Amino acid sequence: MNAKLKETLLNPIFKGNPITVLVLGICSSLAVTVTLKGALVMALSVIVVTGISSLILSLLRNTIPSRVRIIVQLVVVAMMVILVDQVLKSFEATYAIDKQLSVYIGLIITNCIVMGRIEAFALGNKPLPSFLDGVANGAGYGLILIIVAFFRELLGSGTLFGFDILNRFGYVSNNLVILPPFALILLGCIIWVQRSIQKDLQEK
Amino acid sequence: MNTNSNIYTVIYTTIIVVVVAALLSFVSQSLKGKQEANEKADTISQMMTAAGFGTKPEFQKIGNAAVLERYAEEIESAYTVDIEGNKVSDLPLDKVYSPSELKKQNYNIKGAGDAELPVFEFKNGITVVPIYGAGLWGPVWGYIAFNKPEGGVISIKGAYFDHESETAGLGARIKDDPAFQGEFAGEMPEFGSSNVFDIVKGGSPKNDDGSELLDNKIDAITGATMTSQGLEAAIDTWLGAYSKHFQAGMAIVTILESLEDQASVETEETKKEEE
Repeated sequence: MNAKLKETLLNPIFKGNPITVLVLGICSSLAVTVTLKGALVMALSVIVVTGISSLILSLLRNTIPSRVRIIVQLVVVAMMVILVDQVLKSFEATYAIDKQLSVYIGLIITNCIVMGRIEAFALGNKPLPSFLDGVANGAGYGLILIIVAFFRELLGSGTLFGFDILNRFGYVSNNLVILPPFALILLGCIIWVQRSIQKDLQEK
Repeated sequence: MNTNSNIYTVIYTTIIVVVVAALLSFVSQSLKGKQEANEKADTISQMMTAAGFGTKPEFQKIGNAAVLERYAEEIESAYTVDIEGNKVSDLPLDKVYSPSELKKQNYNIKGAGDAELPVFEFKNGITVVPIYGAGLWGPVWGYIAFNKPEGGVISIKGAYFDHESETAGLGARIKDDPAFQGEFAGEMPEFGSSNVFDIVKGGSPKNDDGSELLDNKIDAITGATMTSQGLEAAIDTWLGAYSKHFQAGMAIVTILESLEDQASVETEETKKEEE
């Protein structure tokens, strides 16, 4: 794999993370991070949606009339989101999680990361880099989701993936952690950590 | 080729939309069976949760097949009644009502047609009926389980509610908060009155000793006034529609109990006479 592809794949995970650096997709990262399971399914769904819609639109990029390109993007992204939702609903293992995530799966379509990457990257690049860019941005989003969900489930319910961890030692669940505002506090802390490591992000 | 001409744009978008629509309807059709099976098992586990056979996470853990099996073991009979309390028809024992079917009956209760309301009776004497109504953002529905009538009254065994899109952390607590659902246990709806059930701030007024003065009021959810009111309206409407059915059931039990009393009195009298 050449250096440029590697950069495309790795940059969104940390240095150009869509949540902590671009501050996109905040809404859903507050809503779906109560449990690790939910966050994981959401992360995988977003990876599939960003990856495949970037691929499709990159393949179509030279044929799309520029005046209706946003509409064409929307149609493709909406199709992917509905497909993911339908598939999650039809498996026994994921049905309950799909119900728990309820509207947020459908709301992936409004996630700025998806349209943002298509508009900024996929429409101007070849299919393979576009696909990798989509997957990497989805993964960068998912990584933050999982970090936030880890702390929220551990401190909020005393469990991880539904297994008792802190509960065994008589931990009393903290209700604040379950509520969305705490996710914002955690996100703030993550951004803080990243900015103190990555000095070039700091404003002068 | 000029990709910016009007004709090209119209043809291009038409093709894209038709292709996507065809693909989506194909996928939707081919996955329908599996989705319906999941939904059915989910509905059954909601009914069984209301009736106290287990909790929702427990049913999720054992899987769909085991849930259906357990239901087949426990269910005694299923039938529909009309608003007058008369039995309309028997239902197959594996029949459950999806939210869209409940929605149809909800219109019927409100006068759009002849309501045929499902009643599910379990072998241990518990009766489960559905409710359906409008929450804040979308429909709310659920199941209320009743104990066997005793001494002319019917009390609630348990309840489980579900919703389509109530606010997470607030209105969604009708589904997620076992403590809220737990409040229903032991309450006694006033069948036949205009105010069958109340979900209000503070719940029932209390007696001096802390016991509840009224048995048809429970505490609403803070921050979810509209959802609580919607749920209350749904319960009032549906239990109101079931009133005649339950009143008939209570009346029969009262008659049977008084007959038993009489019989025992008579046997005592005959005993005395014999002595």
